[in-house]
Amino acid sequence: MSLISLNNLSKTYPLGSQKIAAVQGLTLEIQAGEFAVLAGPSGSGKTTVLNIVGALDTPTEGSVNVDGNDYSEMNPKELADFRLRRIGFIFQSYNLIPVLTAAENAEFTLMLQGMSTLKRRKIISGIFGELGIEGLEDRRPNDLSGGQQQRVAIARAIAPQPAVVLADEPTANLDSSTAEDLLQLMRRLNQEKGTTFLFSSHDPLVIAHAERVISLRDGRLESDIQQEAG
Amino acid sequence: MTMLLRLASRNLWRNRRRTLLTLSAMVVSLALLTLSLGVFSGMLVDILSSTTEQYHGHLVINASGYLDDRDMYKNFTADPELLQALQQDKAVRGVSERLRGFGLVSHAESSYPAELLGIRPEHEKSVTKLHTQLIAGIFPTDTDSAGAVLGSSLAQKLGVSPGDELIFVTQAADGSIGNDLLTVRAIFRTGHTGHDNGLVLVPQQWLQEVMALKGKVHEVALAVEDPLLAAEDAKRLATLLPAGLIATDWGELMPEMREAIASFDVSRFIFVIILYFATGLGILNTIFMSVMERSREFGILMALGLRPRQIRLIVLLESLLLGMLGTILGLVVGLLLSSYMSLVGFDLSAWITPVSYAGGTIQPRLRAIFELRNFIDPAYMLLLVSLLAGFLPARRAAKLQPVAAIRED
Repeated sequence: MSLISLNNLSKTYPLGSQKIAAVQGLTLEIQAGEFAVLAGPSGSGKTTVLNIVGALDTPTEGSVNVDGNDYSEMNPKELADFRLRRIGFIFQSYNLIPVLTAAENAEFTLMLQGMSTLKRRKIISGIFGELGIEGLEDRRPNDLSGGQQQRVAIARAIAPQPAVVLADEPTANLDSSTAEDLLQLMRRLNQEKGTTFLFSSHDPLVIAHAERVISLRDGRLESDIQQEAG
Repeated sequence: MTMLLRLASRNLWRNRRRTLLTLSAMVVSLALLTLSLGVFSGMLVDILSSTTEQYHGHLVINASGYLDDRDMYKNFTADPELLQALQQDKAVRGVSERLRGFGLVSHAESSYPAELLGIRPEHEKSVTKLHTQLIAGIFPTDTDSAGAVLGSSLAQKLGVSPGDELIFVTQAADGSIGNDLLTVRAIFRTGHTGHDNGLVLVPQQWLQEVMALKGKVHEVALAVEDPLLAAEDAKRLATLLPAGLIATDWGELMPEMREAIASFDVSRFIFVIILYFATGLGILNTIFMSVMERSREFGILMALGLRPRQIRLIVLLESLLLGMLGTILGLVVGLLLSSYMSLVGFDLSAWITPVSYAGGTIQPRLRAIFELRNFIDPAYMLLLVSLLAGFLPARRAAKLQPVAAIRED
């Protein structure tokens, strides 16, 4: 069974008296361990799809099944709990909590899950080491560079060992060199730990690193190509 | 919960200036409120003590009907066993048996009507504070056989000072005209027009002889530990009394005073509400601004798995923490201000004279007294206002849609 299964997915938004179709009849399967990107120009519906897969938004039509869970059968409380345990998010603007330190940001979801301090510290210490940000644990986001903040965001996303990490334009605010480093890092996590990554991006660098490129245009599937990752 | 508390406490200081401004408004409100209530309480205690501790006592025991007409024949024998039983009651602080007579006091060519209270000085000291309000002379002892203590206005009208002689003339119980000489020992000033103008304290035995009422008294005045519980004490003590005697508390003796104290409680409540309404709006503004500025962050927190209930809790915790901080600091400042006003006070006698109110006297001074409820009521109400002020912003934050919130700049 696929890790992510979207069946005839549609999403329309009201805009004044009109309705805008952000996604139209999208059917897609993503397997565990994939490193895939939803590509397309602005307004193609890639972020909307990512939000629906992340249980942040609900489809107007169609069904979503992630990690064996049919979202239509889950209440808001169950969806919040599912996000907490099975979905990792990486945002374009890092979106770390400014009043928490790097380590606190990374362990935030683990704390909410009720994990003990000792276990949390061990996990976060390991991840910080893997991501090359050891020594930055006590710094606040404002004291970190963009690349460091995005690494902390990755640490936060992978800490609870989610079923999938959803990354919305993760390199948009980074220079090419930092973006390249981060993509290699995520690719390594994907290969070594089997973490599934689903990006939304129109950055050629991200697209080049993906092993699967799902192109969207006007909310519809334009192409779905497997490729040799760069 | 620990993480939510950590988030809330740190969020509070994100906009330090705004938080400090709100905090200072809370501290000033609470401090001034506790100070004002302390001063109000001080005034009430002044008024209450001006009558109870200068004259009536907190409750009195008389023959039934005596308070209606002060008929000298409605007297009774002060049974030592009864006095001892009263003295042993846990609520009773002092017991003073008194004989009351009305007549004329004269000195040289001047004569004025006066109320003579036949007392035993040491007993009277345990019930009233006239002995502390002397402006001349020395309060007599129990061995003084004909020493008088009189009000300042009466002394001035008679033109007497300590050492001078007075003549008292009254109707005696046997139908004769009783009269005898007194020597002025001291002069008191209470600020109460009636007492300063016409009250004279004399030895009890002396008055009994003049009025031909040997061994008799008209009342037993009591001081109790808590004047505000005097009505309950009167009910309890009534069970100790023989038939024909009744116990009356100050509230029954002076209904207008009881009303004044009851109205103070209402005034206090209204005062707190008005002041805190303004403070509450300030807190509401701070928390609302803080929530509006963080919509995107709340969206992120929801994306990470926080439930709306937890988002609401973060905002309420921020509000509550602000309230707790404001309450603690406000109580400290209020305590300092109240201590100063309690120990030093503010003397207004250069500008105003004592004012009679509800049968008592408001002294020309501002003096705070410590009453726990003057601190507790405003404190818990400030916490309540803080929580209420946080409720609307918390509700708004919890209702945010993650996707829309994350899109906000």
